Amino acid sequence: MKSSTEGLAAKSGLIAGGAASGPEALLDVREIGISFGGLKAVQKFSLRLPRAGLYGLIGPNGAGKTTVFNLLTGVYQPDSGEIQLGSQRLGQGKPHEITAAGIARTFQNIRLFPSLSVLDNVRLAGQLHNRHGLLSTVIRSRGYRREEELLRQRSLELLQIFELQDRADELASNLSYGHQRKLEIIRALATNPKVLLLDEPAAGLNPQEKFALAESIRQIRDRFQVAVLLIEHDMPLVMKICERITVLEYGITISEGTPANVQNDPRVIAAYLGAGLEDA
Amino acid sequence: MMRGTSSVGSDAAAVAKSEAAEVAVKGNGWTGLIPIAIGILIALVLHFSLPAPQRSYNTQILQIIGIVIVLAVSLNIVNGMTGQFSIGHAGFMAVGGYTAASITYYGSMLLWGSTVKHGGFLGSGDWLFLGSCLAGGLVAAIAGYVVGLPSLRLRGDYLAIVTLGFGEIIRVVLQQTGPLIEDIEALQSVGLKQLVPPPLGGSLGFSGIPKYTNLFWVYSILAITLVVAYRLKSSSAGRSMISVREDEIAAQAMGVNIARQKVTAFVVAAFFAGVAGGLFAHSTGTVSPKDAGFQQSFDYVIMTVLGGRGSISGVTLAAVFLTVLPELLRDFEQYRLIVYALLLIIMMLVRPQGLLGIHEVWEMFNRRRRKAETSGSDVSPAEVGS
Repeated sequence: MKSSTEGLAAKSGLIAGGAASGPEALLDVREIGISFGGLKAVQKFSLRLPRAGLYGLIGPNGAGKTTVFNLLTGVYQPDSGEIQLGSQRLGQGKPHEITAAGIARTFQNIRLFPSLSVLDNVRLAGQLHNRHGLLSTVIRSRGYRREEELLRQRSLELLQIFELQDRADELASNLSYGHQRKLEIIRALATNPKVLLLDEPAAGLNPQEKFALAESIRQIRDRFQVAVLLIEHDMPLVMKICERITVLEYGITISEGTPANVQNDPRVIAAYLGAGLEDA
Repeated sequence: MMRGTSSVGSDAAAVAKSEAAEVAVKGNGWTGLIPIAIGILIALVLHFSLPAPQRSYNTQILQIIGIVIVLAVSLNIVNGMTGQFSIGHAGFMAVGGYTAASITYYGSMLLWGSTVKHGGFLGSGDWLFLGSCLAGGLVAAIAGYVVGLPSLRLRGDYLAIVTLGFGEIIRVVLQQTGPLIEDIEALQSVGLKQLVPPPLGGSLGFSGIPKYTNLFWVYSILAITLVVAYRLKSSSAGRSMISVREDEIAAQAMGVNIARQKVTAFVVAAFFAGVAGGLFAHSTGTVSPKDAGFQQSFDYVIMTVLGGRGSISGVTLAAVFLTVLPELLRDFEQYRLIVYALLLIIMMLVRPQGLLGIHEVWEMFNRRRRKAETSGSDVSPAEVGS
């Protein structure tokens, strides 16, 4: 286990140069924070995610990981700090604008559209970049038909890549749990994102499915050239595939670095196992 | 299983690239109008093969059924597809009806000196009437925009109360309008005093409207309504609306502007309700404040619930059924509301998703066959990859 993570860390050496001094970050998050009443849910969270990077975000339950995702996707507006995607500042954007800018996410508790078909779930996400208006929809203009046909083909291809094309006409609610998780990722990819945020994609999967998921997350990163930020509780999975990891506890970043470094950080061990482990 | 995907994936990506360049679509720019043309043709046949509504009770019922379907199907865009609960649909209808009525009533008085029907089939009077219906739709659409705005902040019961309030406000405001100006002489010598409040008949209602509505107009507009509703439902725009109904948070995360979808749904629904109001006013010759009331709105809500939320054919069937039923039960009129209530209770217990759920009638038959086709035609990529 340990040797494999070290090997991986060495392989991704070009990014391991350090988050602060990294050459070019696609997603640049600078010291964002939010509090709910007196509760400081997230404080001074920073992240520099490079193009096609695969980073992890871990921490005990209630550490604020999903809150970070909600800040990045515009569900919450940060009280302080800045979020930049490429050359675009995202700070106060609405969720749909941020998705259009190129940040897509999945949800911890599956949020598919249950009474839409599998294909329609994907098509819904893919229509984001449609240009036709309501009038061309109603008169079925050529432009409308061309765009809809293109959308249908692209969605089917996406389903084919993930081997779900046989289920295209089924209702999303009729898929197995594992397939629903997969469809969430496909749907997020259909928005054609630059950054993909995965919120506990392995939750509830069995060991084989987790293994397959780890493989497919890597493949997604490689094929779609999308940067991935992963929240996950499954430590072996995170350590195996992530290039760098940020650890949150009570909304504060307590460690950041390569999997090997994070694994040996006494503060991380204290956070997970309890304090008082000086010999770590 | 995942191992095989890598090679397959690149194949698929290559296919995607070659196909994306040239997506072939059949037909030209006019193809999209064919269903509407067919609908208008059917309306023409109906109009000329059946006796005039003034002379035949059955034709009159047929005409009312058409108008009711337009109202129920348009309400279904808000309640069924977008999942917002509006119970003020009759308010939009009344806004459209009064707008259209005042245009034809005072318009024909100014143009032709009296409110008597002017011109024959497709004559100048008919075009004034069509224009007035469209104007009614537009004014109702503006009202729909205003009522749609609270839906951005309110949901469920709270929104229902706002829409209910809207209908009641319209009803009370219409009751406060001034008496009608009866003839051309009075209209020419009219002073500011008679125009404020506007002369729309007050609580007695707006009567004496020329009866331009006939089967041709009703069923042409019904055809347009059905085609528009179906095209909305089966398009990206409709999927966006449905996604708002299913899960607003997920919809936003997928790039759907939920504020815009909700307001659009209200505006489109109100437009068709307004047009239907115009048809209604010109079919009976009167429109009164109580037509904006809660009772009327509730009829259409029952139709959408009964038909299935989002199912255009289901709601159409429910509208036909619930319009014909009271006519058949004329002798037992006082029991009508009991039958309605019972129907709703039974429906909620036995089939809460409505008659057809979100499906259309023809989908119920196609479903099994289409499934067989899609699973049979493709070779599984997993097999290709390994």
